[in-house]
Amino acid sequence: MSETGRPFGASASWFLSTARERLAKLLDAGSFTEFVPPSERAQSPHLASFDLPAAFDDGMIVGCGRLDGNSVLVAAQEGQFMGGTFAEVSGAKLLGLIRAARDDEKLPRSILLLLDSGGVRLQEANAGELAVAEVMRAIVEARAAGVAVIALVGGRAGAFGGAGLIAATCSAIVISEQGRTGVTGPEVIETNKGVEEFDSRDKALVWGVTGGRTRRLIGGADAYAEDTAASFREATLALMGKARPFDLATLRAEQARLAGRVGRLGGCDRAAAMWKALGVADPRAAGDMDDPVFVALVADVKGAGDDAR
Amino acid sequence: MNARSSGPSQRAWDTARQSREQRLAAAARYARDKLVFHEDVTKLLEALVRSGDRVCLEGDNQKQADFLAARLAEVDPVVVKDLHIVQSGVVLAEHLDLFEAGIAKRLDFSYSGPQGAAIARALKASKIELGAVHTYLELFSRYFVDLTPHVALTVARCADREGNLYMGPNTEDSPVVIEATAFKQGIVIAQVNELVDKVPRVDVPGDRVDFVVVAPSNFYVEPLFTRDPAQITETQILTAMLAIKGIYEPYGVKRLNHGIGFNTAAIELILPTYAERLGLKGRIATHFALNPHPTLIPAIESGWVEQVYSFGSEVGMDDYMRARPDIFFTGRDGSMASNRMYCQSAGLYATDLFIGSTLQIDLAGNSSTFTKDRIAGFGGAPNMGSDPRGRRHASDAWLKAGREAAGEPTRLPRGRKLVVQIVETFGEKLSPTFVEGLDSIELAKSLDLALPPVMIYGDDVSHIVTEEGIANLLLCRTPAEREQAIRGVAGYTDVGRARDARAVEELRARKVIQRPEDLGINPLDANRSLLAARSVKELLRWSGNLYDPPRKFRNW
Repeated sequence: MSETGRPFGASASWFLSTARERLAKLLDAGSFTEFVPPSERAQSPHLASFDLPAAFDDGMIVGCGRLDGNSVLVAAQEGQFMGGTFAEVSGAKLLGLIRAARDDEKLPRSILLLLDSGGVRLQEANAGELAVAEVMRAIVEARAAGVAVIALVGGRAGAFGGAGLIAATCSAIVISEQGRTGVTGPEVIETNKGVEEFDSRDKALVWGVTGGRTRRLIGGADAYAEDTAASFREATLALMGKARPFDLATLRAEQARLAGRVGRLGGCDRAAAMWKALGVADPRAAGDMDDPVFVALVADVKGAGDDAR
Repeated sequence: MNARSSGPSQRAWDTARQSREQRLAAAARYARDKLVFHEDVTKLLEALVRSGDRVCLEGDNQKQADFLAARLAEVDPVVVKDLHIVQSGVVLAEHLDLFEAGIAKRLDFSYSGPQGAAIARALKASKIELGAVHTYLELFSRYFVDLTPHVALTVARCADREGNLYMGPNTEDSPVVIEATAFKQGIVIAQVNELVDKVPRVDVPGDRVDFVVVAPSNFYVEPLFTRDPAQITETQILTAMLAIKGIYEPYGVKRLNHGIGFNTAAIELILPTYAERLGLKGRIATHFALNPHPTLIPAIESGWVEQVYSFGSEVGMDDYMRARPDIFFTGRDGSMASNRMYCQSAGLYATDLFIGSTLQIDLAGNSSTFTKDRIAGFGGAPNMGSDPRGRRHASDAWLKAGREAAGEPTRLPRGRKLVVQIVETFGEKLSPTFVEGLDSIELAKSLDLALPPVMIYGDDVSHIVTEEGIANLLLCRTPAEREQAIRGVAGYTDVGRARDARAVEELRARKVIQRPEDLGINPLDANRSLLAARSVKELLRWSGNLYDPPRKFRNW
């Protein structure tokens, strides 16, 4: 091994890592088994007609492994390939994994989705939109069958479009400071509504609206992780086995929670106003502070902890 | 000596002063002493500015007199027309609006940045008569010879009632612009963010300033020199390692200037890691002529950097520089002080190395950032990226480069500046960096320019660094060798694939070309863990939270 070694250890940045690096360090060492691995060449049949290179895994890695000894199913999106998009093959791999868990109770009862996606792949838009809809339905059915589905969001592409919808369908969301969730991405809002409405290059604005700290503070994510595999692992372990039963009572509680949030925060026109309304005295300082200090602050904020789903 | 045939000349010797006094009299109704309400500025300009005047509308690399630019674009083109704009930066849309409306006709400038394509379009539509695209020092020098402004529209953070101006860290071009204008009977108007009883520091004395207007909003400054470490690629890190091990170390480069690209940001960020492990601390990269790059913070904090003099400032760095007066130049008020003309001279004469990136390099080593439809301008790179033949002080790095260029010992040793181009073989959108002919030659033809724009001439370039290795052009003895040395580091571009493999191997044997492995560098070691900071937030941490990143870089 050379002097400097590979960058990726348990302390390396989740944000900057590839999907395979994330899986390798998230799961117990050597426990990952991949389904439909790259050697099977399950790649997009459409990209070639756009003169675009395909990937042997189509940017979606699915399989099983163990997390601190617990068996789990996992799916990880590669955000650096075609923006981690949902398409015919990548969608089918994810859908197959979730349906298998839904239908076969001998399979692990937890699914971890390492989302890193801008949404549907425009070159395969119909297949991608269908995949997102089918995955959302499959997640609901799997949850009803007792499977916990946990989204881990902290990659460079965030979780936008279909990935944002899917994240919202999960039992729980773990997010890091760099992570972002939303439906319409910043560039799309700017293109459609103008730069005065939303300046996608103003990163402070983008992260203020969609970023991990805001999502955690307002209860849009259930756990906050530092930007490392070790921290995502710890946060995920803490959530496993805590998913509420997916029944009418839970859905009613979730509805009440969201209505309460709109009541508390619906009048705010910017993230700093929401943070203030939640009792954060100095939003700017809270944005700049170190992760452990922020985690302590979240513990004191009303609303961040009242998860129902 | 001949006796005069007549007495002293009867011509008037103060027409410029008379013109100035007439203009001031015409403008007096819009001002109370030096103060002008912002609503009256357009009328004031119509009274002061005369058709055909040379006008400098700063227009700097970073700060912009944006309020005055918008007001000048509003004057009646019947009253004020055919201005000759002489300013370093043509950066705002309003700068181009002047030409569209016929208020301005002729242009001499230095840097265009975001307006490069608009300038090319206006040239093609004959809306602009282009004098020349200058380097900074060249344009500033011409302010004192044949491009002296009649009117200068400047910008400062605050002013007092006497017109004393405080520019703070963004002094930039203003002193040279204002001296040339004021001392040649021109008129100086300043837009300021606020009026104060006493300025923190006098950057421009009030007797050189005729009018002050408090603008309704703070002037615009572009964070031009902030590079997000998260965007730096492993290829860029490899080129940074090559530059340190293959150039900084053997030449002992202590005094230098860095360009603004990601490759040089990578160099700054691996000084405290990679270069530290090579034992180079204190032996290289100690004195900089450099804007306050946020990516330099880790090297400063770990004791690498002795001092930095800057052309301008950088958004968000004010508090950090104020807290590090041992490193930066600061006024008695504590805030940093910059001056583009001084720093360009420093970069030209007092550094041993310039290193920067470019868009295109041809087979002779000429480089350009102009493409077929963009007049990008030069800024200061050609000043710093050239061997100053007026230099007369020696340094080890300069003498070693001179010895390599001479080839054999000579009774009259000369020095040589190290001018390094650091690039990836393919640039954005996989466009090749190495080309048979520069686009700027086509551009010059299509726009009928007398001089094809070249950023750095090949004969000034000493080294080219790519991910494939380093070409030392000082050691090339013939144009053919030079061409093969360039092809030999041009990778898989068409230029690189057309290399003569045997000639390239011979050059490698002579160390004209050095591959990563020749320098003991394993490309697999070039990874992001080498970066002392891997995100803007880590830069904030390194600075002890003194650095205040601009919003567009706060990705949290």
